[in-house]
Amino acid sequence: MAQSTRQVKIFRYDPSIADDGHFDSYTLEIPDETTTTILDVLLRVQREQDPSVAFRYACRVNMCGSCGMVINGKDALACKTNVSNFPAGEEITLRPLNHFPVIRDLVVDMEPFFKKYVETLPFYEPKEDYLEPVMIRPDSQERKDIGLATECIACGCCVSSCTMCHYHDGYAGPAALNRAFTLLADSRDGLFQPRLERALESCYNCRTEFNCTEVCPKNISGTRAIKYIQRLALKHYAHEPKPEELAIPEAPPLVTPVLDRRTFLTQLGVGVLGAGSALVLGAVATGTVIGPTLARAPKQWVPVTALENITSGNVTTVLMKYETKGSLYTQQFSAPVLVSHTGNDLVCFKSACPHLGCVVKWEALSGRFRCSCHGGNFDRDGNVIAGPPPRPLDRYAFKVDSGHLFVEVG
Amino acid sequence: MTTLVSKESGKEGPMDNMAIDYQGSAGERSYPVRKALRWGELDPHRRENAKIGMWAWLWQRISALAIVVLLALHVVLTYKLFIQFLLLLTVTFHATLGLRVILLDFNLVDVKYQKALVWGLMTLGVVVMLTIWFSIH
Repeated sequence: MAQSTRQVKIFRYDPSIADDGHFDSYTLEIPDETTTTILDVLLRVQREQDPSVAFRYACRVNMCGSCGMVINGKDALACKTNVSNFPAGEEITLRPLNHFPVIRDLVVDMEPFFKKYVETLPFYEPKEDYLEPVMIRPDSQERKDIGLATECIACGCCVSSCTMCHYHDGYAGPAALNRAFTLLADSRDGLFQPRLERALESCYNCRTEFNCTEVCPKNISGTRAIKYIQRLALKHYAHEPKPEELAIPEAPPLVTPVLDRRTFLTQLGVGVLGAGSALVLGAVATGTVIGPTLARAPKQWVPVTALENITSGNVTTVLMKYETKGSLYTQQFSAPVLVSHTGNDLVCFKSACPHLGCVVKWEALSGRFRCSCHGGNFDRDGNVIAGPPPRPLDRYAFKVDSGHLFVEVG
Repeated sequence: MTTLVSKESGKEGPMDNMAIDYQGSAGERSYPVRKALRWGELDPHRRENAKIGMWAWLWQRISALAIVVLLALHVVLTYKLFIQFLLLLTVTFHATLGLRVILLDFNLVDVKYQKALVWGLMTLGVVVMLTIWFSIH
């Protein structure tokens, strides 16, 4: 592998100056980028160029979670990120983790992180004093659900990547909630209720951005853990009896009824008779009352007005009254009919707007039918000009009999 | 802040021995610190690291505000096709992104498909919306 040159920008903050911090640039010759990690780069900068650069590390093999930092905008472990991960020649920018107070350079104060970690009770407490080791079977659903979420090394990358950790002070963050999840899903654990209460409060702050999932060096999904806790709570509180329900005294034991032949036959007889009469009554009621009421009213010709009341060349609104006979009652209707008389043509429009049935009115000034509900407009022939109506105005069939206008309804 | 001692349990156990003061040193540090950096602060790579999940969240909030404005406009200018279209579009985005959260919340879709879910649902929503739009107009 060819030797290459990289510019490395490192965030510097000196507590003795206590300013806002700045970036220092270093130039480094790297023999083989594929085998050089960002941690190697930092160590070389410290040894060869600037011994005052401060950063944390311990294991160098992504097991301890000490060297979390923001590398070219992505929260990651310095020991797990190779220089060759970035396009050749690109400058490498190293910043301390977000959402943690900076102590010096790349070293942050992890105390808020662990304080929140502890608040979700991150320890195992057995339900009872087991005499034998209790195991979750490796092939059980419970173990599969927990999966590799127990592998968290508490590096803080997820908290650094989660924008909600900035906006919600009380938010425990993905790592703590992931820890809570591994214990909540564990059936041997005795602190389910207090832990659920603490964790659930924080879960509401998750906005499903998946940043924690994207950056986790151990490929754990904080989002999955948070959603799991919420579903767990949903299940738990749905089935958990409320305290007042628990206080209800137990019901007296049921007396088993003794069923002899006579009682059985009597009950059977009553049952059959009852069901039979209900059926008959129901059939009669349906046939005489309900059926005719539901059936469409028969068509009928209704007199509207005398022909002489209709002026030629104009639209006349006439109130039509008629009634339909149901089985139990007679219903009276009254509806305006819009009679348009042009030349020799006579048209009777229904006044109900084809959109939602509001009353359409004739406006002589604009020569339009208008519906005031949703602004439907129709021209003189009933065609839609504007608005939501799906079709032209409906028309009545009509006839003229001995100087009187009749329309057909029903 | 809550203390760690469980009063409800009432029994003697490791919980009661856990009364370690985790809050004590929080307020008064003996060393000065720079206040925490925010996500993307002083970061030249800020934009490329705004991942799709963040956009999905942000887009849903923006569309929510847009709906409020467009709905008001729609009431005033009911038959402006342009506003009708924009309103329908923002409602589509808002609904599909809301659907995404519901699907993930109830584990109806595995979280590992979250990226595909954003694009898939939004595309599906827009296709359905356009179909409806062009069948009306």
